[in-house]
Amino acid sequence: MTYTIPQIVVIIIAMVLTFILSSRKFKSTELSMALAGVTAVFFTAYSGWTDEPIRILVEGLFTNMDLAMTFIFATLFIQIYSHSGAMTAVTRGIISKFNSKWAVMACMAVLMLIPGAITGAGSVSVFVMGGMTYSIVRSMGVSEKKATAFVFIFAILSAAAPPINLWTMLMTAQANMPYVGFELLLLLPILITGAFTIIYLGWGAKRRPKEEILAELPEVSEKMQGKGGMVRILLPLVALALMIVLTLVAPFQMPVLGLPLMFVICAVIALICDPNKMGFKGFYKLVDEVMEQVFPLAATVLSVGVLQNAMAASGVKGAIGTAFVLLPFVWIYALILIVAPFAQGCMSYGSAIVIGTPLIFMFNTAGMNTTVVCAAMSLMFPIGDCLPPSRITGRLTCETTNYQGSYMSFLKQVFLPCLVLGLLALLMLIKPAWFRYLI
Amino acid sequence: MSEENTKTIIETETAAPSPKKKKRIESNWITKSICLIVALALAAVAGKSFYDQRHFKETVVSAPGLTEIKYLSDYVPALKGTYGDTPIFVYDSGVEGGSVLYCGGTHPYEPATSLSAYIMMENIEVTKGKVYIMPQANYSGTTLGIMGNAYPKDFDIETEWGKATYKIGDRTSNPLDQWPDNFTYIHYPSKQSQAYNDLRNLNRCFPGRLDGTFTERVAYAIMELIRNENIDMAIDSHEASIMYPVVGVYVAHNDAMDIAMMAAMDLTSTTFDMKIEQSPGSLKGFSHREWGDYSDTLAVLMETPEPFIDRIVGPMTRDLMLTGQDLFLSFAGKKGLTYVPYELETGWPMEVRVGRHLSSAERLIYYMNMFFPEKEVQATWPGYNELVEKGCGAFLHNPEEADPELVFKV
Repeated sequence: MTYTIPQIVVIIIAMVLTFILSSRKFKSTELSMALAGVTAVFFTAYSGWTDEPIRILVEGLFTNMDLAMTFIFATLFIQIYSHSGAMTAVTRGIISKFNSKWAVMACMAVLMLIPGAITGAGSVSVFVMGGMTYSIVRSMGVSEKKATAFVFIFAILSAAAPPINLWTMLMTAQANMPYVGFELLLLLPILITGAFTIIYLGWGAKRRPKEEILAELPEVSEKMQGKGGMVRILLPLVALALMIVLTLVAPFQMPVLGLPLMFVICAVIALICDPNKMGFKGFYKLVDEVMEQVFPLAATVLSVGVLQNAMAASGVKGAIGTAFVLLPFVWIYALILIVAPFAQGCMSYGSAIVIGTPLIFMFNTAGMNTTVVCAAMSLMFPIGDCLPPSRITGRLTCETTNYQGSYMSFLKQVFLPCLVLGLLALLMLIKPAWFRYLI
Repeated sequence: MSEENTKTIIETETAAPSPKKKKRIESNWITKSICLIVALALAAVAGKSFYDQRHFKETVVSAPGLTEIKYLSDYVPALKGTYGDTPIFVYDSGVEGGSVLYCGGTHPYEPATSLSAYIMMENIEVTKGKVYIMPQANYSGTTLGIMGNAYPKDFDIETEWGKATYKIGDRTSNPLDQWPDNFTYIHYPSKQSQAYNDLRNLNRCFPGRLDGTFTERVAYAIMELIRNENIDMAIDSHEASIMYPVVGVYVAHNDAMDIAMMAAMDLTSTTFDMKIEQSPGSLKGFSHREWGDYSDTLAVLMETPEPFIDRIVGPMTRDLMLTGQDLFLSFAGKKGLTYVPYELETGWPMEVRVGRHLSSAERLIYYMNMFFPEKEVQATWPGYNELVEKGCGAFLHNPEEADPELVFKV
């Protein structure tokens, strides 16, 4: 054993100080996270725990590379798709067809849930449906802040929703549990939270006359109307849905494409379907702008990787896990709704492995149903997707909806639906036996 | 992305950059150049380390009884020239009997498995039947560490003649050999959904597919090895975190349960605690399940305690890999959260873990011989007590002084 607790505490303090000071100096979360990682790696090397500090930093950059690529190509796809006027056409269509505010919001909630549920990534829901959902919910008289909160809540619910819940999958993989029996356990709290969110955010909003809303929306070009327009609108989305569904239902015939390539294919289809031909120069400029827009987000997920690797190398990751799992059960119940989301904010999906897996083993020792326990924690981690330092989905949502208010005001708006989800999950954690019938 | 945002972007594109922005870009070019140079320098230093791990070969000095070297590409030619091809060392006594396969490195971040295979190879003597030893079942996984876990890339074993270096790999195949991952992994042929990165996890890909992914092809090749060579008993060695219930244990296919149970009872009463579990039918892709289901072999998986891969340990050091001593884990041990006894003073050193594997394999063969005399295999190698007494280094031979024909780079 080559370390002491005071050494680890010093590193944690140094990391926190670095993060605070560099945040003030550079006004950049991603840079501050990376610098906090550099600090941890510096102490790691200084203490003689590694002879390859640079490798640790660079290796960390690759930890979330796939996620960064997904963000980049999803943004590219959705920008090209929007450029065609398809988003406007769909928005106009939904507003024209539905007369009830609640029906529209419920419809958009379901549409938001689908992309994340089948890919496991809430960010995909935000990319594919977020902008459109925001516009439509706004047109129902819902305020900018509440509409942004609507997009975020359904994005995290979509990530937690079956069939693909990455936190559950990672925990079951670590614990060698089959990924079986989670569908209803995950779905029921999501439906309850979703219904609450619609009522909470839609309450009091007054839908303006349909004609007034439609008059404010941009006109759709003739080429985006009629049967031809329908094909242009649907083809890119159908292609995406088809690739995802085929991956699930015909996995042994379908080549492994991965989400980034799927979005590239859809971007090409959207480009072909775009009636407003932009030419090479226009396309180049669009890509340039997309990169500028998505770069901070991509930098965030890459920085989270550096931070993850640095925390592992320095023992900080172990210290956080140890501090939590050594608590008595009652304290775990009391703190889990704070610790799990913040662990997600710090370690992204790593939270499921560092915090989730040891807890599954602990609850297993206590004779509790681990399937329910695992599902409960899988509902808690997504809440942290709006929390610092990474706040990936929260930030993405605010950027997608062009939210102008402070981030804190956004957090306040999402607090209550998150609390409802958290409390339902906590109930499952405390009383897993009550939920066994859902397995 | 909202329509308004898109509109703004398109509008911005068509306008020329503002003078202020242009000035800022120009004034920052020096800073950007410095950043680029620093980034390239960091990439070069780290790249050298990644390259070294990708191409490093471990050295083994085989015992004289080696009769043949096979490769996975002998069974699946598509693997030839790839990082999925890996050698299988065959020790044939020439006396008719059964056959045993010993696998190390199915998960290359569990290096006591490969080291036990090497020590077995360096000291084996087979007098009846055949023994097949595959030290690096997932060779691709040895060529990098787990991203996000900051593993050191290797560790040294001290010997009388110097240091022998071994790699600490990944749990899965290297993304350079198989990429991208899907958003979920669906196991062939059961269609069971698993975590997305298990698509590259060899011990979730059995029985594998000839026309599947890289890792599925490796899995298929191992199945073909077992089927074509009529392996009577196949032993897959692993290491597990000590806060994981399945540790210090045999996990046996239904057909091998009697043998594994007897071996566990024997070891527990004479040498060290060993548990036994039956392979659950609902867990798909594992060697202990699919090897038995898709061939006639008696499939057993073994797990030794490896604190290095526990989730709540301190700094990731070579020392932790070798000694298994960790302060944080000792708190968990005191609270009864570990599934094997854990004391900070003793930890779980490499020689104990390697020794457990060697004796566990030996006992399995012993009881296979009792249950199935027609499959008898007689083979010897150092066991737990010798390893604990003398350490791993005592059983590794100096490649400089050995017969060059018996020195191999794996």
